Amino acid sequence: MNDLHRTYEIRCPVHGFISLNEWERCIVDQPAFQRLRRIRQLAWTDQVYPGAMHTRFEHSLGVMHTVSMLYNAIASRSSDVLKEDLGYTQEGLKRDQQLIRIAALLHDVGHSPFSHASEELFPENEHGRKFKHEQYSAAIVRTQLRDVIDNHPLNTANYGFRAEDVAALLEGSTNAKQRLFWRDLIDGQMDADRMDYLLRDSYHAGVQYGRFDLNRVSNTILAIRGTRGRGPRLGFSEGGWHAAEGLVLARYFMFTQVYFHKTRVAYDIHLKGAMSEILPGGKFPRPLDAELGDFLKWDDWKVLGELSAGRGGEHGKRLSNRNHYRLAYHSPEISSPEDLTFLELIKKKLGDLVVSIEEASKSWYKTGVTDIPIVSDIDPTLVQPLSQFSNMVRSMKANNQVLLYVSPEDSERANIIIRQEVENERTRQGTLEFDPGAR
Amino acid sequence: MNEQDKERLSLIPVLAESHPSHHIGRTALMKYMYFLQTLRGVPLGYNFSMYSYGPFDADVLSDLSTAEAMNIVSSTQVSFAGGYGYRIQPAVGAPRIKQEANSFLSKHKSDIDWLLNEFGGLNSGELELASTIIYVDREFKDLQVPSDAPLLVGVVNEIKPHFSRESVERSFDSLLGKGLLVSVR
Repeated sequence: MNDLHRTYEIRCPVHGFISLNEWERCIVDQPAFQRLRRIRQLAWTDQVYPGAMHTRFEHSLGVMHTVSMLYNAIASRSSDVLKEDLGYTQEGLKRDQQLIRIAALLHDVGHSPFSHASEELFPENEHGRKFKHEQYSAAIVRTQLRDVIDNHPLNTANYGFRAEDVAALLEGSTNAKQRLFWRDLIDGQMDADRMDYLLRDSYHAGVQYGRFDLNRVSNTILAIRGTRGRGPRLGFSEGGWHAAEGLVLARYFMFTQVYFHKTRVAYDIHLKGAMSEILPGGKFPRPLDAELGDFLKWDDWKVLGELSAGRGGEHGKRLSNRNHYRLAYHSPEISSPEDLTFLELIKKKLGDLVVSIEEASKSWYKTGVTDIPIVSDIDPTLVQPLSQFSNMVRSMKANNQVLLYVSPEDSERANIIIRQEVENERTRQGTLEFDPGAR
Repeated sequence: MNEQDKERLSLIPVLAESHPSHHIGRTALMKYMYFLQTLRGVPLGYNFSMYSYGPFDADVLSDLSTAEAMNIVSSTQVSFAGGYGYRIQPAVGAPRIKQEANSFLSKHKSDIDWLLNEFGGLNSGELELASTIIYVDREFKDLQVPSDAPLLVGVVNEIKPHFSRESVERSFDSLLGKGLLVSVR
């Protein structure tokens, strides 16, 4: 047995050193967690940004580190709200910090190969809705990781948490009880997941778009007492509104410049297409006891082996040869109904040349506008939304851009058709200034 | 935009204009979508999970953002003592999306009327509580947990300790009386 009280440190390019205790290190050593070393965080984004080769492994460690920063800040700054509204004691807060760290560490353990890109091939549950990777994570926690969670000496001697407690937080089950409050730090509008991936993806992609002031965020985040009978929520003190604004803008820039980059999106299309050929029945195994072992065998290495062996059909060949679909036409970032009508016209004119239609509003990286509660410095009972402070956030709208793709072989033909339709539209409108993608 | 997208977007202005006050807030929108899908089986395709403020799916807010960007609805921020909310109302693009989703809206008109009749008078705190009770009830049923009033009320009270046990019991009794709970013997 290793020294139970030893602390381990892992170097992280974003956070410096990430500390783990012996229990957390044992979890990291499990095969189900080590699998995350073989799942790239941003799928085939390296085809656009060659540095983006990082994995869910380092991101998961980063989320655990970030969630600790946020949790400690909230517990210290808002202990009155947490005690009065959620019934916490000081001891309870200290105890639950460990549970939230482990939930954060394991939040992505159920990811499929190449992260979000292949999630559309998840099977459906009994209600006809696709499983989500959080449900796979919870199922893996309940099975493969149950023993290391339930029976680790640090846990049995100090906490008495069960794997079920972690799983309930991850999937949003009512078993999590008052701890559901912390779920917003793991899977919410201001979660540690998003804070880490913006910084990490930015770092590895070699862009500056995802940078924001994490230290100031953790210095000003707090729990706000609910009004009109509602429960407490996360927000910021007034002094932190620029940091909150920076987070919102980082998300916007990363979406437009990285996550919804036209070529990156094309590779998601090809990965999905190839995987649907490679997977038995075109779907991943379900997150059920009998099928989880098979699910965990799927990682990037296995998929790359299949592609290397020539499987994956037309999409597999396009991935192997970097011969991706081309963006033929796109609507503006904020598309009006008229813009979408014109896009429909283009789509109709292109006919069978259109091989894929991708919408920003369907992206895994949510495009909705977040409004964050801000507590007044002068009157702590006064809460206003970030949009009241920030002109930029106030004028932001959801990105509902639509992209039309054609195969590279048809690209020139498609361009001729589109140019003709744009000319026709200019004539119809009587203006030379019509530029359908620019608004 | 597929048919389900249009249907979801069309519901937002319809819920707002059909509400007795002719507008709704964000909490109401979230919980109304949850009730329509869970209690009336309206096929909206949302994937709700539990947070301390009740059932939530970020896709509902994404749809609201899209509806705002397309001028289907407008949101105005309103302030009240200690906080703020939003007033969501139909905007100039509402008639068009309603027309495009006409058959869906006609088919589910009785569901919308029922929803607003049953829940239209509740404030955001009451909606949070009612939706949490229903979520716990459905989870008990899915997991085949034998349930009774004290157990269900106790679990809800643990999730939302800022509510008194009496107020949870009142909301529970009201939902039970309406026949909306399925796990309780």
